[in-house]
Amino acid sequence: MEVFSGLMHGFAVALQPANLLWCFVGVFLGTVIGVMPGLGPPATIAMLLPLTMMMNPAGAIIMLAGIYYGAKYGGSTTSILINVPGESASVVTCLDGYQMARKGRAGAALGIAAIASFIAGTVGVVGIMLIAPPLARMALAFSSPEYFALMALGLAMVVLLAGRSMVKALLAMLVGLWLAGIGTDLFSQTSRFTFGQLELLSGIDFVVVAIGVFAIGEVLGNMQMREAAEALPVPKGLRNLLPTLQDLKDCRFAFANGSIVGFLIGVLPGAGSTIASFISYGLEKAVSRRPQEFGTGVIEGVAAPEGANNSETGGALVPMLTLGIPGSSTTAVLLAALVLWGFKPGPLFISENANLFWGLVASMYIGNLMLLILNIPLVPLFAQVLRAPVYVLYPIIIGISIVGVYSTSGSLFDVWLLAGFGLLGYFMRKLDYPTAPLILGLVLGGPLERALRQSLMMSDGHLSILVSRPVSAVMLSLALLILLMPMFGKLNTWRLRALEK
Amino acid sequence: MHKRLWLAAVLAVPLAVQAQGYAPTRPVEAVVHTGPGGGSDLLARAVALMIEKENLLPVRLQVVNKTGGGGALAAAYLAEKKGDPNTIGFFTGVWLTNPLTSNEAKISLRDLTPVARLVLEPAVIAVKADAPYKTLGDFVSAAKQKPGELKQSGGSITSRDNVVRQQLQKAGGARWQFISFPGGGERIAALLGGHVNMMVIEPAEAGEHIRAGNMRVLAQVSEKRLPAFPNVPTLKEAGFNITPVPQVRGVVAPPGIPKENVVYWEGVFKKLTQTESWKKFLAENQFEDGYQNAADLTRFYDEFTNQMRSILQEAGVKTVR
Repeated sequence: MEVFSGLMHGFAVALQPANLLWCFVGVFLGTVIGVMPGLGPPATIAMLLPLTMMMNPAGAIIMLAGIYYGAKYGGSTTSILINVPGESASVVTCLDGYQMARKGRAGAALGIAAIASFIAGTVGVVGIMLIAPPLARMALAFSSPEYFALMALGLAMVVLLAGRSMVKALLAMLVGLWLAGIGTDLFSQTSRFTFGQLELLSGIDFVVVAIGVFAIGEVLGNMQMREAAEALPVPKGLRNLLPTLQDLKDCRFAFANGSIVGFLIGVLPGAGSTIASFISYGLEKAVSRRPQEFGTGVIEGVAAPEGANNSETGGALVPMLTLGIPGSSTTAVLLAALVLWGFKPGPLFISENANLFWGLVASMYIGNLMLLILNIPLVPLFAQVLRAPVYVLYPIIIGISIVGVYSTSGSLFDVWLLAGFGLLGYFMRKLDYPTAPLILGLVLGGPLERALRQSLMMSDGHLSILVSRPVSAVMLSLALLILLMPMFGKLNTWRLRALEK
Repeated sequence: MHKRLWLAAVLAVPLAVQAQGYAPTRPVEAVVHTGPGGGSDLLARAVALMIEKENLLPVRLQVVNKTGGGGALAAAYLAEKKGDPNTIGFFTGVWLTNPLTSNEAKISLRDLTPVARLVLEPAVIAVKADAPYKTLGDFVSAAKQKPGELKQSGGSITSRDNVVRQQLQKAGGARWQFISFPGGGERIAALLGGHVNMMVIEPAEAGEHIRAGNMRVLAQVSEKRLPAFPNVPTLKEAGFNITPVPQVRGVVAPPGIPKENVVYWEGVFKKLTQTESWKKFLAENQFEDGYQNAADLTRFYDEFTNQMRSILQEAGVKTVR
């Protein structure tokens, strides 16, 4: 009942014309910066902070939050169309989204991304509304051993991302893990694999690697095969551009999976949306009836990670609003904004600022709806991009990639890295090495190593800490199970063959 | 009469600036080493707002994020801007400690032009509210009884968190674990979740957790008691004879700029620290006014690095300079 009256109050705040306008401004800006690789939500929000000083705080937080979740909608666009992840969270969307576009189903992929984002984004808001405080307390019980187990579980998914050869997938993953180790070690403050390069002290940004390996590698590969380098097929007519009823049916589980996995991982301060989208993709593939088709353009492979990175937004707001603990760079900027406006974010924030909180929650329902209405008509428009002939499209892709990488760090060194990783991507493609495990290793390597070393420091060097805690023990066994899965499959085929003989 | 005096004073300000012969001619780049939302970035943006409001500069102050290398890239960027009159940078403690431990981080404050120290950030030592330790002495003696079993969450091994630990361990003859977490949120989550026993935290961050009854403060890492914590002893008052290593923030300029430019910038920031908006900003963030001019800052830098080097060496951290 309390929730109901709170929400009614919230809608009274969010439906004020000015706040509706700010909500629209936020989600619109979010979509735009999401579509553009490079500029992300934290930078945009920080740049807008001075302007918000003159605004009413309710309108301001509604707008800034709109940028945050709006960017997740836009992020999938370039992933699907040109294999360039628009935000770090939409790397996974490249895997099947881009393949769908190559098959002439770009419209369906863009459409399902918007729909999955809407469903999961809304579920995320419901989550904040109903279970935020108890969930935040539960997230506190998650310590380093549990984080280690979660990352190990994610890493075990390499088995699911592997193509024909498991050895090649594992090799690619190990290279990813090694890349993750480059930079200054947090625990000893020594530099590793930096070769005296100042620019490598803080490690390699995985967005550079992802754009290089996915986008540049793809362009180089296609350019070599002249015959394949033709304009992609784009069906005519709005109806043929949107997902079909069958598509929606195929995605039923993906919607639920993305919503729940994304939200739960979002609540954990030490995880993040990229990890959320990887894990929901892996889960989707693990339970799918057609796992062998993943990576060739199945629609669930877009819906699950896109859903996950949107409900992650809702999840990430939970520790920020209920405890004043930021789990990501965007929530850290939002938290700073609250302080700047004179609020005191912390455990008492919601109860002392009920109107602001409920106004924000209500605005997120409205904003998600706005985003759906905003994004669906954009689908046919964006899909037309692929009609461009390759001699126009490829230079544009390379241009967007370079600008995107340079605008995140402002460093030319990263542009050279991009070129290097583009070549790596090209050769991996030629030699039939899967690229997704490389990204997986790079994303999970850092948190995995940190969690392991933190756990061992907590236990004074005893490995038993990893299995003596129930949650981490369960997750580690699951990881082991996933790792052993292909072996069972092999055993079975051997057995069958032996029987035949 | 009064009116005319007031008018004269207003007219005199730009004249005085002109008389020094130097003033920035195009928007000034303010280089920070954190991304948007990081501590330095927020300070620089707040300063830019205040400078605009108080009309202290003829041009705009534009924040430029040069992230990477824990400050090393931003420092190197400033060093490259040798002689540039339209660039300044906001430094923090990591700009001072990084060159001590990292071969790659070659640029120290001495290689740039120190301008002013602005802020001292005090800290408090906090435990979870249901922890058995009522005083800092309780905690240290508990750690003494069970060597290596109690834990503290913090940042990197060269952070102030670990420096305070080293000093306390030495003064109290105890030993406990230091567990590094990259994000401030994770450090707090580790304490509130009961996975570690103690942490060094900024007062503004701790305030709300104390008010909600989740955290208790045992001591404050500062020379004198902070207004917000009138009943919490300083380290010395708690019985530990420790000179706290200050956490500083301030302004540097590229190397090789003329003396008059330094004087100009000193003046701008001196004026800034005397404004009401600055005092309000300090109070809101529970910072201490740490203003020092260029000469004092240089002296401070030398003392700080010497003290820091010996503490890090005692802690077993490899120093390279």
